[in-house]
Amino acid sequence: MSFAERMLQIDRRIIFMVIGVCTLLPLLFPVGLPIKISQEVRGVFDYIEGLPEGSVFLLSLDFDPASKPELHPQAIAILRHAFRKNLRVIAMTLWVTGTGLADQIITQIAEEAGKTNEKDYVFLGWSPGGSAVIVNMGQDLYTAFPADYGGKPTKGLPVLAGVNNLRDVNYAVSLAAGNPGVEAWYVFGKDKYKFELGGGCTGVIAPGLYPLLRSGQVNGLIGGLRGAAEYEGLVGQKGQAIAGMDAQSATHLAIIVLVIICNVFYLGLRRSGVPQGR
Amino acid sequence: MSFAIVLGAWVATGLTLFIFSFLYKDNPLFKIAEHLYVGVSLGYTIVKTYDSVVMTLIIRPILDKGEWSLLIPVAIGTLMLARYVPKAAWLSRYAFAFIVGVGAGLAIPRTISSFILKQIEDTVRPLMTIAPGDGVTFSFDLLSPASNLNAIIILFGVVSVLFYFFFSVEHTGTGKLVARAGIMFLMISFGAAFGYTVMARMSLLIGRLTDLIEFSGTSYGSPTLWLLALVIITLVVLERRSRTSPPE
Repeated sequence: MSFAERMLQIDRRIIFMVIGVCTLLPLLFPVGLPIKISQEVRGVFDYIEGLPEGSVFLLSLDFDPASKPELHPQAIAILRHAFRKNLRVIAMTLWVTGTGLADQIITQIAEEAGKTNEKDYVFLGWSPGGSAVIVNMGQDLYTAFPADYGGKPTKGLPVLAGVNNLRDVNYAVSLAAGNPGVEAWYVFGKDKYKFELGGGCTGVIAPGLYPLLRSGQVNGLIGGLRGAAEYEGLVGQKGQAIAGMDAQSATHLAIIVLVIICNVFYLGLRRSGVPQGR
Repeated sequence: MSFAIVLGAWVATGLTLFIFSFLYKDNPLFKIAEHLYVGVSLGYTIVKTYDSVVMTLIIRPILDKGEWSLLIPVAIGTLMLARYVPKAAWLSRYAFAFIVGVGAGLAIPRTISSFILKQIEDTVRPLMTIAPGDGVTFSFDLLSPASNLNAIIILFGVVSVLFYFFFSVEHTGTGKLVARAGIMFLMISFGAAFGYTVMARMSLLIGRLTDLIEFSGTSYGSPTLWLLALVIITLVVLERRSRTSPPE
């Protein structure tokens, strides 16, 4: 058995180990690689930055704990930005398994920013129906969410003064790990009720959302941990995402090297005439 | 630090390490974590749904505000349960018909408008505009990243990929070239999707490792170190047992 053959049949646990070490070392000994801000992330930031104080900002946290590493830093960075701009924040989720996490995020950041529940922000929680909830909110927000997450009637809450439906929302951002998420908010929300929409998403679904970005259907897109790191950089508060970017770069480098090495061995075997497909 | 936070750190660390132990080989620790995940997710969903739907949207409005009209959707929804009674199973079709009808009615026009028409509109952006009085204006600018060069590439990509999936004509000559270009566009698209997927999975790993590093602190009782030792010892014991026990 040649060296190339042995390498191509290497125990996959060694590869897991290499990836693990490449991820762990930069987390223990960060280098602080520079992060370039992309236009799509800047789109969301600039729009929030341009909103006047007291504008209505809707943040839909459409993910569950399984996507926490990517979307939790995005949510924290956006909420910090929104509270710093003194926007009225309406938070909600379309994912029932994400309600606890969403509540924890908004409560934590609101406390940090010194904001008051029901006056500066409200967490509406989850309502059944998936995409139909968006349609329902477009007609009447109080029918979709008669009570907030704490069970208090939404009608009469100071933070919702003058807000009857989605047409009264100045800007909405969906942080999505799948469906219902950004696409649903565009299809059933923005396209019909004409409010501006931005998106944040996991890396897995980001390529599918880029067509919406180019056509202007969403005005910005925060993609994965990288997008979260860019937003943290824009907000000027380093968090989990920036801390993880060194590890992300190191891991990507390791994977690229592994892919190249595997292909070199594979091509070497092919040229030497060793039968493939074993 | 409160007991709840410390306990949460131990549970999170333990379950993460149990799941990671699968990278070595399938084992009982992984099974425990896997079954717990499924059970807890389901239990959480049931409790949240009961609280958010049954209590908040049905029982409280009926009892507190006398909104008896809510009993109509409740009745339609209850028909779903008829599936469990073979003789009355046909009743569930009314509920399904309602859901399919409303769902399709909502989704079809909106999806066509949002994805098909809007995307076609974006694909066939004009390279020049003719304004009355101003004559012809070319909007093509090679130096601008948002120029129509992208529009040309996208248009060619869409057409070539569509042609690749057009099987009524044999792909020969120029057609073969166009179909090959379509394959190239598809491959680039798959590559981009795979790259993003790798990034996403690595982000998840980074997230877990970040927590493991944080929970290795003495303020939490160093659960990472203790539980890592436990997992390694368990794997070693299991490995030895599997070697000594006769094959089934």
